[in-house]
Amino acid sequence: MSQVELRELSVNAGSKVLVSKVSLAVEAGTWCTVIGPNGAGKTSLVEAVAGLRRPSHGSVHIGGSEIGSMGERERARSVALVPQHPVVPAGMSVYDYVALGRLAYHGLFRSPGAGDKRVIESVFERLALSDFRNRDVATLSGGERQRMVLARAFVQSTMVIVLDEPITGLDLRHQMELLELLKGEVDACGLTVIATLHDLTLAGQFADRLVLLDRGEVVLDGPSHEVVRSDELASRYAMNLRVIDVDGADVVVPVRHGGPSGTSNALRGEAVTGATRWPIS
Amino acid sequence: MAVVATLSVAGLLVAAVGGLVIGPTSIATSRVVGDVFAHVGIGHSTLTSLQSTIIWQLRAPRMALGLLAGAMLAVAGATYQGVFRNPLADPYLLGVAAGAGLGATFAIVNLSGGLSTPSWTPLLAFVGAMAAVVTTWLIGGRSMRSSAATLILAGVAVSSLLTSAQTFLQQQSTGSIARVYIWLLGSLASASWHSVWMVVPYVVVCVAVCVGAGRALDVMSVGEDESRSLGLSVRRVRFVVIAASSLGTAAVVSAVGLIGFVGIIVPHIVRLLVGTSYRRILPISVVFGAAFLVIADTVARTVMAPSELPLGVVTALVGAPVFVVILSLRRPVAV
Repeated sequence: MSQVELRELSVNAGSKVLVSKVSLAVEAGTWCTVIGPNGAGKTSLVEAVAGLRRPSHGSVHIGGSEIGSMGERERARSVALVPQHPVVPAGMSVYDYVALGRLAYHGLFRSPGAGDKRVIESVFERLALSDFRNRDVATLSGGERQRMVLARAFVQSTMVIVLDEPITGLDLRHQMELLELLKGEVDACGLTVIATLHDLTLAGQFADRLVLLDRGEVVLDGPSHEVVRSDELASRYAMNLRVIDVDGADVVVPVRHGGPSGTSNALRGEAVTGATRWPIS
Repeated sequence: MAVVATLSVAGLLVAAVGGLVIGPTSIATSRVVGDVFAHVGIGHSTLTSLQSTIIWQLRAPRMALGLLAGAMLAVAGATYQGVFRNPLADPYLLGVAAGAGLGATFAIVNLSGGLSTPSWTPLLAFVGAMAAVVTTWLIGGRSMRSSAATLILAGVAVSSLLTSAQTFLQQQSTGSIARVYIWLLGSLASASWHSVWMVVPYVVVCVAVCVGAGRALDVMSVGEDESRSLGLSVRRVRFVVIAASSLGTAAVVSAVGLIGFVGIIVPHIVRLLVGTSYRRILPISVVFGAAFLVIADTVARTVMAPSELPLGVVTALVGAPVFVVILSLRRPVAV
């Protein structure tokens, strides 16, 4: 049984079709990243998976249960969300913010119990957030803030986590750090990840599976190394892309139309020692 | 937090005793306190029967109604600010004031027949207030995708419409303008034990529901979508909180008129003192609001005795400087 299953999922906004009849089955412990140009419907798709958008047609199933038939708390115990632009409530401590993730377990009229606190402490330790626990959430840097949002999702103790562009606005080191933390959790706990990412290199390196979405439809779906090397990828982004193998990792490089005149060969990838080039267009 | 809570309760006691003791007829504090104890079977009263009547039939119901109104308006303002995530929200946001104003004006203009018939004014004010909020909800809050902003805009539209109707009614009957105006400014002058007992059940239930919503409002501080992803039924919480705040406010307003400023200023003062968690803001607002309104009323009825200042004027005169001082001492407002 698939951990996440989309059956002919369509999402409309008024008369505009955002996602069109997408069927997808993601196995437990798989990291599946949805890629695609702006306006492809990635955010609408992950919001539907998180249960925040009602499908116009079709359904989303998490662990075999249809998400639309779940109560709010049951859904929050099944799938956690890391939104693209999380709201940061100034004045709240990092601990209180992360503890919000346990709401679905202790409910509105009880405080977090001993079990809830154990989960919170364990996540604080794993994500190296202990030093920030009493800090005001508004005082954190971008990287610290995203780690805190990830921590809130982790304490929801779900088997599925949905992330919408989780590394937006982070520098390279913090991008890698955040994705490594997530990867660690996927490997350690068998977490299933549905994410959207704009960075194709990172998408290819971290995901087990890439789904290319364009105009609401799935145009490519497969293992990451196959999708990033596909001709279809460049044509959907309407640009020249090259993939360079650097120490076994696929690095996707955009190249200006008509060739990089005035730039060095090294920038075109031709002088990268030991690299394999995959001409795409 | 503990210090603020203790000081608030102490302030409430001082305000309550002040509400009984201070007035044009001078009665010693010790004798009033002795009389209060005598009522619960400790010691005996030294008050004359006239003094006893002044304390128990004039000042006590007025003080009690002030406590109830202040507590309700303050906690309703705090919950509105939380549920709409808007620092400018007050209990009158969804049309309670405009609806109550129209109902009260209609009663004063059409049903009093030149003489005051107080029983119609609170009833129609209450009906008007609830009708306004229900209309706002039906326009802006029913659909699944409706946002807090839609509801606020619906409230603005309903309020504008009802206020224009109220103004029209008022202009048609120039002889009643003074009484309508006095009602609109709010006053505890007509307080009686009857009005207190009319308001008590609404305030007790609605304050309890609002205070119980503290954790839900803390969750909602991360926005509607994220709250839902955390397992909160945002629509249900919003409905319950708005229903309780509006019902309690309507009950209070029908008894005391449109007392302004308490609902917006008290939660902000409390927020500056205890932080941004609604689990702390709400209970402290209840105590602080009650004390604040009783003190404001004591000022309103004594500084120009025997005539009274409008209560709404005093709440602004006392509240605004206090708020400015605290604001300048503490961090910026966050809701």
